[in-house]
Amino acid sequence: MCVSLSLCLVRWSRYNPYYLDPDPSKDARVPESELSPEEKELQELKTVSPIKAALSSDTSSAFNDPLISKFINMMMQDGNKILARGIMTQTLETIKRKQVEKYHKSPAAKREEIECNPYTVFHQALENCKPIIGLASVQKGGKSYQVPVPLTDNRRRFLAMKWLITECRDNKHRRTHMYEKLSQELLAAFANEGNVVKRKHDLHKMAEANRAYAHYRWW
Amino acid sequence: MNLHKLSSRLCPTVTQKFRHLQIQSRGQQLEAVGVETESTEQNPLSVFRTSEQDPTYHSERHTGQYYTLPAAHIQKLFPHGLPPRFQLQIKTFNEGCVMVRPPALELISYLKKADYSKPPLRYILYGDVGTGKTMCLSHALHYCYTQGWLIVHISDAHLWVKNCKELLPSSSRPSRFDQPIQASQWLKNFKITNERFLSKIKTTQQYVWTKRERTEKGQPLGELVDQGVNRMKSSSDVVGAVLRELRLQAGGATEGEGAFKLAVAVDGLNALWGKTSLKKEDRTMCEPEELTLIHNVRKMMKNNWSGGAILTALSQTGSLFKPQSAYLPSELLGEEGFDNMEPFVPVSVSNYNEKEFESCYLYYLDRNWLQHSHSRSEEGKKELIFLSNKNPSILERLCAFL
Repeated sequence: MCVSLSLCLVRWSRYNPYYLDPDPSKDARVPESELSPEEKELQELKTVSPIKAALSSDTSSAFNDPLISKFINMMMQDGNKILARGIMTQTLETIKRKQVEKYHKSPAAKREEIECNPYTVFHQALENCKPIIGLASVQKGGKSYQVPVPLTDNRRRFLAMKWLITECRDNKHRRTHMYEKLSQELLAAFANEGNVVKRKHDLHKMAEANRAYAHYRWW
Repeated sequence: MNLHKLSSRLCPTVTQKFRHLQIQSRGQQLEAVGVETESTEQNPLSVFRTSEQDPTYHSERHTGQYYTLPAAHIQKLFPHGLPPRFQLQIKTFNEGCVMVRPPALELISYLKKADYSKPPLRYILYGDVGTGKTMCLSHALHYCYTQGWLIVHISDAHLWVKNCKELLPSSSRPSRFDQPIQASQWLKNFKITNERFLSKIKTTQQYVWTKRERTEKGQPLGELVDQGVNRMKSSSDVVGAVLRELRLQAGGATEGEGAFKLAVAVDGLNALWGKTSLKKEDRTMCEPEELTLIHNVRKMMKNNWSGGAILTALSQTGSLFKPQSAYLPSELLGEEGFDNMEPFVPVSVSNYNEKEFESCYLYYLDRNWLQHSHSRSEEGKKELIFLSNKNPSILERLCAFL
């Protein structure tokens, strides 16, 4: 896990750039002897520099998952974190129920292929939804072109989560619950099927089609 | 499954030590843990599962262990009786396993020792939210079913006092109200559970439903039940008639053929004497006394018949206008209910102790339910204990997404 001095590029962030992020996990404090010289310098810095306040949604327990927390924040509407977290836990439960049911009903030979852990299913599904290359609009000579462009990790993660959430909000029957639809989409994405993975493939195809304009990018 | 029988044959000393155990105290349960560990080295599976499927033979040495409910029994006995989360669990794990716990064992031992020529004893299971009252009641009912009793099971009396779409004025009495949907649903479930008794029991009196429909004296009970299922309008009165017939005939006949014992099980007993959320047509609140179904069940609760037992459980979760902290019989039943139910045998249900929690944890591990890597470690287990306070339902909900 890299601990870097983060440049706060987040909009409306009021902390000074030299404030460090808090690390609530129990393994954050490592004894002096196990550190290399660079890490010793970092530890020195930590004792001197100020640290931002921890969010109330972060826990020191090992059950805390930053990816799941980020997803819950993106699903949240009007600050209703309780509802968003409830939907997330129900989704994880539904995924686990479906997989465990399949596990118990299948013969012993096929049991090892079934992934029952909802967290690995979620992480893998999100990986499968992340686009590798994106498109940016560049104006040249009065006309704007869609130019294929590399994406940063944060941007890729954001796009994957955003597509997942919009897909589950829009393309479902009025009476299906969000957690049901989400669990269906996540299991489909885990198997590289479903609408979100299709959208990622469409983006890749558009980028491939527009590769002639790639040199319009100057950054 | 053979491993379990092997393990019980491998340690005969264990059974001898438990023969003289009384109804448990804490010290004795810790002793039990100490002795069980001998068998764990030989077979770790036997700590949380038992091969004894018949509730008749469950004893203190099985406390904390899970026994499997046969699928045929679940279908027949509990078409509507199990809590919804437990039904989901049965579907997911492909088996229905119930933990043997001291309150249920206590109840079953009372049922074994009771004298059935005297009026029925009333047992009330009470305890905090989510401690396992409904499951203990189901365990005791399974015992009654395996013994061949006739089961009258009202899975949740709260469903009869709220959210009722159709409330018809009663056809037989002017100031009462009928609930046709709930009554016919209950009659269908009653039919599924007690099929073999329906042809043997005969009605003792003629019942007139309308100008053209009547049930003669001496007809089998099955016809009465069919009458209620087919004609929704009179189904609430049919329920009353069925209950009356059972009350008159339970334990009455001394010959082997006709005699049967009656088990009346009501979950959510406090609904019978609480308030309803139903309104009459002039928009005043309905009293529970004015509902036919509730009135008939209240008559069953009196101990003026013989040849059976009344098993009940209180429930705060579905109750109306009761605070969440109320769990004692006097708080939930109110004055009227308490006076009606007195004298009764109270059975207290509490959270898991260490052995039961251990058993539950191992069961979830065995069923591949605890997936998060941290939950399988010692620290994760301590976190689970802390977060759930060993409350069965909270633990179940926690483990669902971990």
